Amino acid sequence: MTKSPLDGRPLANLLFLLPSLIIYVAFIFGPIVVAVGLSFTDWNGLGRPVFVGIANYTALFRDPDFLTAMKNNAVLMIFYCLVPLALGMVLASVVSAVPPRERLAVRTLLFLPYIMPSAVIGIVWRWLYNPLFGPINQGLKAVGLGALALPWLGDFTWALPAVGFVVVWYYFGFCMVIFMTGLQRLDPSLYEASRIDGAGPVYTFRRITFPLLLPEVRIVLLLTIIASIKSFDLIFTMTRGGPANATLVPNIYMYEMGFQLSRFGYAAAVAVFGAAAIFAVNYAVHRAINPKDGV
Amino acid sequence: MKLRQIHLLGIGCVAAATAFAGQTSVAAAQDVPVWHSYTYEAQAETMRELIASFVAEHSGVTIDETVRSFDDLSLTLRLALQAGNGPMVTQVNQGAKDMGTMAQAGLLIPLDDYAAKFGWGAGQSAGIIDRGRWSESGQFGEGPNYGISSLGEIVGLYYNEKVLEDAGVALPIENFQGFLDALEKVKAAGVTPIAMGTASGNLPLHLYSALAQSQVDAADRGALDDLIYGRGGDFKTEANMTAAKFLQEWSKNDYLLSGFSGISGDDAVQLFTAGQAAFLTGGSWYFGDVQNNADIHFMPFPAPEGVSHPLSVGGVDMGWTITSLAKSQAEKDLGAEFIQHVVSPAAAVVWARHGYLPATSLPKESDVELSGLLKEAIVIWDDLNANNALGHYIDWASPTMLKTVQDNIVLLMAGRQSPEEFVGKLDADYQAFLATK
Repeated sequence: MTKSPLDGRPLANLLFLLPSLIIYVAFIFGPIVVAVGLSFTDWNGLGRPVFVGIANYTALFRDPDFLTAMKNNAVLMIFYCLVPLALGMVLASVVSAVPPRERLAVRTLLFLPYIMPSAVIGIVWRWLYNPLFGPINQGLKAVGLGALALPWLGDFTWALPAVGFVVVWYYFGFCMVIFMTGLQRLDPSLYEASRIDGAGPVYTFRRITFPLLLPEVRIVLLLTIIASIKSFDLIFTMTRGGPANATLVPNIYMYEMGFQLSRFGYAAAVAVFGAAAIFAVNYAVHRAINPKDGV
Repeated sequence: MKLRQIHLLGIGCVAAATAFAGQTSVAAAQDVPVWHSYTYEAQAETMRELIASFVAEHSGVTIDETVRSFDDLSLTLRLALQAGNGPMVTQVNQGAKDMGTMAQAGLLIPLDDYAAKFGWGAGQSAGIIDRGRWSESGQFGEGPNYGISSLGEIVGLYYNEKVLEDAGVALPIENFQGFLDALEKVKAAGVTPIAMGTASGNLPLHLYSALAQSQVDAADRGALDDLIYGRGGDFKTEANMTAAKFLQEWSKNDYLLSGFSGISGDDAVQLFTAGQAAFLTGGSWYFGDVQNNADIHFMPFPAPEGVSHPLSVGGVDMGWTITSLAKSQAEKDLGAEFIQHVVSPAAAVVWARHGYLPATSLPKESDVELSGLLKEAIVIWDDLNANNALGHYIDWASPTMLKTVQDNIVLLMAGRQSPEEFVGKLDADYQAFLATK
């Protein structure tokens, strides 16, 4: 009988893992360890870092700008996670009902925003939102809604929702595709039975479709929460965290601390906190959403 | 092929590779890595011309040029030097965050001997040269000089002559009251008085600084120098308070471009160039953009009556310096020759030909054709240097001042902060910095 390589000596197998392991340690694990170590120091990028214990972390929770960034991130989660999820689920149901030939075209069109580089999207939408020559305000003025033609990305109240709208536009197609995949997995006989029993569409969605799509809901939530806490390039290209920190998020704050103010230890603490937040929130989602099929 | 032939072929290949590597390493000794931030098209073209002429004069030398934006250069320079693989010659931003920190860490080489040899800074006021000085104890404005610049910078008032004439404004504008009268006439004519965009860039900072420093006579500049050089003082001055009040008033009462909070600084400059506003307060680095409109002129920001030699915000652009990666005396000398090549009177002619204000005076005998804006700027530059009236960029006052200004000036302009609160924020930032010295 041929022996499986998995039955071989571990040391011999390790040799095959070594190239990937070296790359992983050098480019992923190593920098993470360095960042964690740096977060306990005060370092301006020159000379030796000075160990300061947990001073950076205690300072974080007294830092009004960091707390503003966290609050903004919490609000943005609605636009990163909840709205695209709801919109994606609705559109998945609608598009699934479209004839197959047209379905491919519609699905591709709706998915297109997601394949564009987010920094490019940020630049394009900054132009679209321009208060003087951007088409959004030009269109509002043309239909007599000039009072709504605000300086969107420069308005303290509307800058965050304006950025959030772009985020929804970016992610809803991705969520839709995930849910369409999930819908294909569902047994059509369940829907036949519910129709025979007289169940309406809302009841069917609430008691059949949604519970069976919980695995996809969990995946979508996990991925969009990670994207939310990691958010940087889209917001940076649109507003750089302004006006006056109205759209500041932790990753932009980390960038400012590290690369503009050369407080690399403090910036590392922000990064470590962000990573810990991703783990914590995703753990909570895992525990809260527990599909009965164990997926 | 027989074994002996294979061995001979292998030895031959190794010998060839060694000879080639030797050639390459000899050539690498004459490579001079140079970093700069001249990203605008005309600036980049000027640098290409200067580098080509330098290489033509120094056979065997190649310039390994890296061009980064102002922000990217600041981001990457210190880490690259720390890692030992950055430039030998570079531009570096004056102020505590970059030049000061790097000079104290021994990453930059003092240039005083080369300055004496080549006559760097001749014709400039002593105040200009001091902006590249950092002492061993970290005192700004004192000690060895670590940077010499190619270009002069003046923050002044651009005005559109045609727009003003159509609005009935008599030129020239003599003083600040004349400027206020002009604003009223332009507004009454239905044109936006001042081009402004606060979404990105530093136009509000420059307007605020110009407003404040034009009220200060060069004879009384000591307090401002002390502030910027970290020798003490405070931001709560009458000039700063007045400037904040005017900026807020103009923002509230539609003297600025509609929707300015959503417009970037660069877009505001383009809108001004297109005739969408009468005035723009900005730096001479915009010459390349605005010179496309022949109606646009440049003047010092108008001062109140009674101020004989008002300060104009400005100075020089980032300083050229030699880094610690130039190990041998020969490398340092070569670096200094490159710097001389881009700051000399001959280089000044090249910069002027491309439309830029050189920090070094043009040779009297030069017959370079100057743009209208540049002619105006050179007269202003010479006058400011003669009277030691070049003011300061207030963000140099502390490493965090730029962020403090950017965060709070938009609140001031939106009416969410009073002028007293705004000036208080700047002062709090500065006092916190002083406390760490």
